[in-house]
Amino acid sequence: MIEKDDSRTMILDGVEVSFTPGETIYEVASRSPGEIPTLCYDKRLDPFGGCRLCVVEVEGVRNPVASCTTPASEGMEVRTSTEAIDEHRRILLELVASENRQIDVDPLRGYASQELTELVDRYEARTGRFEGARSGSSRTDDDNPFILRDYDLCISCYRCVRVCAEEEGDHAINVLNRGFETRISTEFDGSLKDSDCTFCGQCVQTCPTGALGDRKAMRYEGEPGNIEKTRPICPYCGVGCSIDVMTRDDRIIGVQPAMDGPANLGALCIKGQFAYDFVQHPDRLSTPLIRGEDGELHEATWDEALDRAAAGFKEALEKHGAESVYGVASGRAPNEAAYTMQKFIRAGFGTNQIDNCSRA
Amino acid sequence: MSNPLVDMQKPDVIFCIGTNMTECHPVAATGIKKALAKGARMIVADPRRIRLAELADLYLPIRVGSDVALLLGMAHVISREGLADEAFIAERTTGSEEFRKHLEQFTPEWAAEITGVNAADIEQAALLYAGAERGAIYYTLGITEHICGVDNVKSLCNLALMTGHIGREGTGINPLRGQNNIQGAGDSGAIPANYPGFQPVVDPANQAKFRKLYGREIPAEVGITKVTALDRCGEQIRAMIIDGENTLVSDPDRKHCQHALESLDHLVVIDLFLTETGELADVVFPAAGFGETDGTCANTERRVQRLRAAVTPHGQAKPDWWIISQLARRLGIDGFEYESARDVFNELCDLSPIYAGLDWDLVENGEYQWPVPERGHPGTPILHEGEFENGRGIFSVLSYRDPAETIDDEYPVWLTTGRRLESYHTRTQSGRAHGIDYLLSEETLEVHPDDVSAWGLEDAGWCELASRRGAVRVKVQATDRSPRGTVFCSFSFNDVPVNILTGSGYDPVTQTAELKVCPVRISKA
Amino acid sequence: MSATSDQDLIESWRDEPAPLLPVLHAFHDRDGYLSEESMRSISQGLRTPIAELFTTVSFYHHLATEEGGKEKPRVCNGPVCCLRDAGKLLEELGEGATAMPCPGRCDEPVAVLRGDEVLLGLSATELSPIPSPLPAPNPGGLDECVFGSIREPGRSTLEGYRKTGGYEALEKAVNKMTPAELVEEISDSGLAGRGGAGFPTGRKWKAVAEAPGNPKTIVCNADEGEPGCFKDRAIMDHDPHAVIEGMALAARATGATRGFIYLRYEYPGTCAILERALNEAKAAGLLGENILGADGFDFRIHLRRGAGAYICGEEGSLLNSLEGKHPFPRNRPPYPVTHGFEDLPTVVNNVETLVSAPPIVLRGAAWYQALGEGELAGTKVISLSGDIARAGNNEVPMGLPLGTLLHDWAGGPAREHELQAVTMAGLSGGFLAGDDLDVTLDEPSIRSRGSFLGAGGIIVFDQGRDMVAAARNAMEFFADESCGKCFPCRIGTKRLTERLAGSSGPGEMAGWEAEVRDIGKVMKATSACGLGMAAPLITESLLKYFPEEIARRLK
Repeated sequence: MIEKDDSRTMILDGVEVSFTPGETIYEVASRSPGEIPTLCYDKRLDPFGGCRLCVVEVEGVRNPVASCTTPASEGMEVRTSTEAIDEHRRILLELVASENRQIDVDPLRGYASQELTELVDRYEARTGRFEGARSGSSRTDDDNPFILRDYDLCISCYRCVRVCAEEEGDHAINVLNRGFETRISTEFDGSLKDSDCTFCGQCVQTCPTGALGDRKAMRYEGEPGNIEKTRPICPYCGVGCSIDVMTRDDRIIGVQPAMDGPANLGALCIKGQFAYDFVQHPDRLSTPLIRGEDGELHEATWDEALDRAAAGFKEALEKHGAESVYGVASGRAPNEAAYTMQKFIRAGFGTNQIDNCSRA
Repeated sequence: MSNPLVDMQKPDVIFCIGTNMTECHPVAATGIKKALAKGARMIVADPRRIRLAELADLYLPIRVGSDVALLLGMAHVISREGLADEAFIAERTTGSEEFRKHLEQFTPEWAAEITGVNAADIEQAALLYAGAERGAIYYTLGITEHICGVDNVKSLCNLALMTGHIGREGTGINPLRGQNNIQGAGDSGAIPANYPGFQPVVDPANQAKFRKLYGREIPAEVGITKVTALDRCGEQIRAMIIDGENTLVSDPDRKHCQHALESLDHLVVIDLFLTETGELADVVFPAAGFGETDGTCANTERRVQRLRAAVTPHGQAKPDWWIISQLARRLGIDGFEYESARDVFNELCDLSPIYAGLDWDLVENGEYQWPVPERGHPGTPILHEGEFENGRGIFSVLSYRDPAETIDDEYPVWLTTGRRLESYHTRTQSGRAHGIDYLLSEETLEVHPDDVSAWGLEDAGWCELASRRGAVRVKVQATDRSPRGTVFCSFSFNDVPVNILTGSGYDPVTQTAELKVCPVRISKA
Repeated sequence: MSATSDQDLIESWRDEPAPLLPVLHAFHDRDGYLSEESMRSISQGLRTPIAELFTTVSFYHHLATEEGGKEKPRVCNGPVCCLRDAGKLLEELGEGATAMPCPGRCDEPVAVLRGDEVLLGLSATELSPIPSPLPAPNPGGLDECVFGSIREPGRSTLEGYRKTGGYEALEKAVNKMTPAELVEEISDSGLAGRGGAGFPTGRKWKAVAEAPGNPKTIVCNADEGEPGCFKDRAIMDHDPHAVIEGMALAARATGATRGFIYLRYEYPGTCAILERALNEAKAAGLLGENILGADGFDFRIHLRRGAGAYICGEEGSLLNSLEGKHPFPRNRPPYPVTHGFEDLPTVVNNVETLVSAPPIVLRGAAWYQALGEGELAGTKVISLSGDIARAGNNEVPMGLPLGTLLHDWAGGPAREHELQAVTMAGLSGGFLAGDDLDVTLDEPSIRSRGSFLGAGGIIVFDQGRDMVAAARNAMEFFADESCGKCFPCRIGTKRLTERLAGSSGPGEMAGWEAEVRDIGKVMKATSACGLGMAAPLITESLLKYFPEEIARRLK
């Protein structure tokens, strides 16, 4: 009985596949080869059914159905790619291409920024057909340093609106007007700074066309060299968001959320998304420093500094005993720092005179 | 946290107290917002009308430092109305009889007197939380940074124990940790009472274990806390090493702190920047930080995750573990022959019961939440399922105490401190990020608009804020986020060193400073 | 006396169901527009995020956001009024006057909406408010269902309604039938959705009756936004209690306890008539608790005004609009019968459908079934307008030949020209012309020619009319009313409009046709709701009947 309720089967492109009730055709199909194209889809969000690129043929149903919103059902026979379906997709993409200033954008604009480019190429829709008015209007007046609002490139998929509402819960933006005149707008059409926006950057990262761009990363647009991604944990609060640090030539050029980060599942806040450039800031300490006879701190070699530091502890130990030495570990540094610090005190001085900054 | 972050989407009643989560833990707050969107109801207790308060179904604007009274009042109602989970109490707790007898005196009317919250709202909060299918408590430093921080936490535990809102999905008592690895610092043993993995130093078995591991006798006696150590600088304490903390700016009572650090014979600081604290050091080491170093950390839900180096460290900066190890080796201390963070972490796993089932390779994808007692163990997303670690949950019989300092004619205004969304701590990092100034370029004192006029101040004008320990100048911002008679300021900006004012008292158990309450006097400047 | 405060306005609605629209109207009526301050108050009071509220307001045609906006005249630029030189009237009215989509007065053009009044006339000096005309009796004296008693004097009052058999069907349903029998009677009659979708009404009621979840809801879709359709207005103006009785029967059949009439903004007079009727019914115990003494038969009806958006006639959009959400259509499945208003089981029925129920209950399924021609069940109200001698509403037997309606019932062409083409389903069915004018008025016949009957609006164009211009006017309407949710409709209606206007697109016939056909094909196949699926019927039928006109235009 339970087995019957929990697992059902359908025919997907001629192959029998199983699914659990409640799954959409798209979800079922995403486990099989052959990618169904989408532009308004973000797996974190409620299915929207706007772009219609994910339409598929269902046996016995007259019109194609949007696979992202249609639940799979027992015995359903689905074809995800036929000549007719692929033609619909190409025409849709030609229409989308016709309403934008440009299709190709630098990948530094955002995590999903290449989606439209890739689909237009995949369906050979770069034909220049369906010429006409363009939609959207870039907000060049919004001077915030984080989020470029280049709405000339907006295709009205509303992923930004939905991620802001459903994932971030800020509801800072929404869809103004209707039809071809729709625009993404804050309250009273002002700048993001004067809205409920918290600059978490989620809208930027889900935008499939680069209409929303990561302005900080875009400072490095067009430079040569590959972008590498490395995944540490955000250095700020204790939530532990996974982030992908983008580097080129040993320089950090931006941050993107790790969509599969176990603590954040793609979410970030302004600090994790945008407050990373302290790392390569000129104010960073470059060398060890030692206080000189003149009372000032002076640059020193590691040897000098380590010797001097060791000497100070040795002197305290000799003159005042082990109880005179105290270690404070950091809540900002890795486990390895805290562990070695407590071991330094316990194994080195035989005391428990160790604490960390959790009291501040 | 007793429960994982993903559980924040699951309660049907949420109780947030002393947490400005949307600003301080924004990503965690998204979970709560999702729960609310699904129909959960939320109680928020906070002196300030923060964003979370606006999202709440029931907002309790409590006077700073009156949490215990509120929580006792709620417990009284739960007991009186027969809403306690008797089966849970009988099966899993101890001390309930005494506790419930003790509660009889703490009526909501009594609590209303102290907290300034309507008795009816206190009753409603109790009914809501106790009536929940899955009630979850979330708190942050607004609970702990008080002289009664421990009592505050115990009071929350009492509520959860009474109602059985613990040890199940979507429930629990969930503190949100404020720093990326503050959990891991404790896990790793950087606390005076415990060896790594929270093995008490007072336990002779642990003492023997570490004698063997570290090759020397360590007293079975809890060490002094940092607060005590700072008090004893220049006397007992002569040499100190501080890693990654701008003690001078982030700790309370800045004058006292400066004096303490200046009286040391020897101060070594490891940091990314030359901080105000580093300026006082004899030796400063440049540390490799975020994005430059490999390592591990533990988040607020006890999830152990990997840090990875993306770029070469700045200048000659080195990982903290390397610096400390080099120092140890120069002092002839054994056991610091590490070649990588991996070596250090694997040693930590070997001797820590909560990490025993982990090693460097296993934490690659961050799927484990400790305790992971042995290899093959899946980790423990939810604590206290089925059984408490120490057997039964113990009710704490406690009473309300006033803050260390209360307002009077001389210092008639409550000051409370905290963080803001766009800044972090003392801004050594966030303050150096391009663009942050666009949103937040200076500190302000948040004052209720009626108080602004009543006290002869001007919105955006300057004022002087004075406590028994000192005074600072700060710009006034009129806002009804602040209630009448209470003002707020963050400690992020060096030119408004608000911790000159704080430091009125410390929790007797944890020695956490009462940073959330400080009577002040305000005058136009 | 000062105006009601923001707080009081919000308080008076906050605990009512579906409060956003009435609150918006309350502020709009009080101030003559929605100020930023008002919107902020409403956002706080109803806990609706301000950006969402602001943009939702922008969705509706008739919510003014500038001072004095509500009183500014709006002139219909619909297909019929355009035949009567609505553009000239707009110019005459001068600064501040704007165009609006069809407000459903095609029987007496041109319509102007100003404040809470609809004025009619061909020039600025002759504009006056004129009540809805009664539908004329049919020439053959055929039995009617919807209009059977509508011409009885005093029918719009409770007293007059009751005198002519009103609420007897409800009494019969309560006293002599079980809810299941009631559903069965409707099912047997063959009654199907008269708003255009044609879904069997009995099956819908049954589905809601059987769906889990309470409370259940009956929504009367009175958002008659289709250009060329004005039948529901006539019904509601002259027979408002029939609407109430029809809804009460649906409630009885399904166990629903709350009802909404979602009335289009452009019918302010109808709003007052319905309000009065609802109050009468409440006072008489025909709405409320234990209706007609039946234990536990509780049903309340809330009147909600739209704010000007064609798409809100689509049931998903309508439900979102009622709930105060952005009025995009909903994805289906799930359908409203299980996940309707507030995600609970909901009947959404058109006005005409609901008012058909009382006569069916009283006179029986067989009687209704037999009203149609041959095998076809029942009747359909057709709104006829344009170049026709007698414009107005006619209840025709299903299957009546179109030619009979046009010539025998309505007197043939209005001017010296011969008839050239008609629209079907208002504008949604595109055009029929030439040999296809021999259709009968029923879905099978009309669908076989590539169109559909829909809500039953037929606009007549005679030989003197420019059909490309008519097509462009129609496509502009669809483009203006496209909600913007799905790509094919949002971009497609715009591109088709541009091509009909000749403002962009290929300049030669082959290229033009290829693009227009491709756009039409993808819109019909992939649009998320009926608007986008239907709009290309305009270009398709234009290509079918008037290719030379297009070619001439392209030169």
